[in-house]
Amino acid sequence: MKTNRLSIGLLILTALLCGFPSLLPAAALKRIVIGHPEALSGQYAKAGEQAIGGIQAAVEWVNTVHGGVRIEGRQIPLDYKFYDCESRKESVTSLLERLITSDKVHFTMAPYSSGLTLAGAPVTEKYGMIYLNHGGASDKIFEQGFEYIVQTIGPGSQYHAGTLEMIRHLDPKAKRLALAYEDSEFARSVMDGAEAKAKQLGFQIVFKRTYPQAVADLTPLLSDLKASNPEIVLGGGHFQDGQLLNKQLADLKINVKLLSLIAAATLPAFGNALGPLAEGVMGPSHWEYGVTFSPEAAQKNELPWIGPEQDEFVNLFKKATGQELIPDYHAAEAAAAVLALVAAVEKAGSVDSDLVRKAFGELEFMSFYGTWKIDATGKQVGHDMVDVQWQQGERKIVWPLATKTADVVYPKPRFK
Amino acid sequence: MMNGYRAYLPILPVAATYALLLGIGVVSPDHWQLIAQLAFYCALGQAFNLFMGMTGYVDFGYVAFLGIGTYGMAVSIYTLSDKGLGIGVVLIGLVLAAIFSLGLSLAVGAVALRLRGAYFAIATIGVNEGFRYLLEGARIWNGADGIIFSRHLRQGVGRQTAMALSTWWADILVFGVAFLAAVLTLVYMRNKVGYALLALREDEDAAKVMGINVTRYKIIAFITSAILAGLLGASAWALKLTYVYPSDVFAIHYTVEAIIIVLLGGAGTLLGPIFGALTYGAAKYFLAIVLPGFQLLIFAPVIIAIIVLFPDGTVGLLKKRLRDTPLGKFII
Repeated sequence: MKTNRLSIGLLILTALLCGFPSLLPAAALKRIVIGHPEALSGQYAKAGEQAIGGIQAAVEWVNTVHGGVRIEGRQIPLDYKFYDCESRKESVTSLLERLITSDKVHFTMAPYSSGLTLAGAPVTEKYGMIYLNHGGASDKIFEQGFEYIVQTIGPGSQYHAGTLEMIRHLDPKAKRLALAYEDSEFARSVMDGAEAKAKQLGFQIVFKRTYPQAVADLTPLLSDLKASNPEIVLGGGHFQDGQLLNKQLADLKINVKLLSLIAAATLPAFGNALGPLAEGVMGPSHWEYGVTFSPEAAQKNELPWIGPEQDEFVNLFKKATGQELIPDYHAAEAAAAVLALVAAVEKAGSVDSDLVRKAFGELEFMSFYGTWKIDATGKQVGHDMVDVQWQQGERKIVWPLATKTADVVYPKPRFK
Repeated sequence: MMNGYRAYLPILPVAATYALLLGIGVVSPDHWQLIAQLAFYCALGQAFNLFMGMTGYVDFGYVAFLGIGTYGMAVSIYTLSDKGLGIGVVLIGLVLAAIFSLGLSLAVGAVALRLRGAYFAIATIGVNEGFRYLLEGARIWNGADGIIFSRHLRQGVGRQTAMALSTWWADILVFGVAFLAAVLTLVYMRNKVGYALLALREDEDAAKVMGINVTRYKIIAFITSAILAGLLGASAWALKLTYVYPSDVFAIHYTVEAIIIVLLGGAGTLLGPIFGALTYGAAKYFLAIVLPGFQLLIFAPVIIAIIVLFPDGTVGLLKKRLRDTPLGKFII
């Protein structure tokens, strides 16, 4: 008897260690679950919080308005499960594995930032799980040969493509381009992309230099920049340095036809901090509240429309977060990733990773976030950035023409 | 002085703990990444304790050794993967990691180990930050762009092997580093190095007067601890995650985690860092699941309470209580 009890005890212990779900028979597909180790604390907490709100809003739309994910005539509810990875790389791997093996999710989502996205990739590739990348903009992710990563955020190299096309459209004679940017992986990939695009469009790069992160004074760099006599300046990296760059350009009275700063100029705090100095300054953004993508626009472009319209999304987002908060692009792109997933699953008629990955490859659609299409490596190539410009203390969308909320002021007003 | 095998009995509970962890991982492969994360914390705590616990010096720049070790492995895979060396690139990576961290520890040690107490701690913070900015500013090893070598690893050893290296062997290596750190700690404790360090920890000036070459023993402990950190970085961060950004690896919060782990378990004990690592790692993991976003809020006061209630750490307290019992000889 004693041995029996001991062996039963051991059995129970093993079962506990293995996790109970594995003892239960595989049930028919009742829910489709997306698992997500997202940064709710640590350095990416702000972006992570927005992303989760956006995803919850999209899931709510899928379940209530869309009626669930449609597979083989059935409508299956979509579920979302997230854990906090604390913006740390070790936590990403262990939480992803838990989501895949214990929680038995069907699809996984990467946390915000290129680094954390890369950290989880070996695990999702091992389990052959779709890994939706909503916040890793580095182009290098897609040069590694990963098979299951699908990107929704536009790659860094594309940030200024629209800006440069706009300048060509407005001022075919503009030629002299200067690049002054932060020495970070993100800014570098943006500016390398801008340089390639600029050369393609016939611009001449008259100045290209980086400055260190957390820089306190840009005067020496800007004096050299002034000497190169540029017409266009593209630059920035984060908020602090972008603001400093703008301010010191004004101090040194360096007037150019166009100034575009990544990250900084798209944030509300930028205008508050700089006041009149921000007038006419531009910045590329993945998405801005106010863009006018709509089912009609989709029809005009002969693309299917998926998901809520912008105002519907904003309401769902406020409901999900319980705050009077306007979503930023982190929320929009994460929501768009969910919409893309639903479209791909419906197209594949299955939750099998390989079939869904194949369907992703053939997918092209428009949502409130804009157009969506990936290349063979999983990199986003369909999404166009929008360009915003500060006009009378407000951010206006000025490019592409199809989504603009105001006309661009070009050349930008001179610093007074 | 204890003689013979009895002196090394405390390695048994260490080995048993790691064997149990490995066993759980093998029986339940679904939880392997959790086990791997716990092993990482064990190794981090043990390696850090080897210097901090034994000398009483708090090295706030400790993570720099993990960082440079990560680069050792990254550089090896990134530059040598097309040379047909196969799995050899990993071995070269480990050797490079050890050499890099040895070099950095000699450079840091030569300067910082002349300082004491708070001055030492502040100087080492400077080392970590300074080294990161040196890499970024001088664009050494791609600077801020980091090295992403997933593709190189796959090309060098094949897709299946690369996957096995990242999701299994890297973690086994972490266990290896953790065990090696424990063995070295015990060997030092039972030999002249340990006694010298004990004397120095209690009163450095008195130790000097008694003729102990304190600088020499401090450097021995410092270098050993640094090389272990380098190997840990090479396996847990480079081989496992297949990319490295300077801002990700030279992040001071890993040093803070190491300090918490050692203090929870008991500085200068052999079993303390393991106990600290398991408590810290498991609590962090489960709180992140049960209360995503709020775990640190709950965690911080608990850590403070434990440290206030058990100033010697949990194992430190246990060691005192069990000193004259049969279990006493296993717990140090």
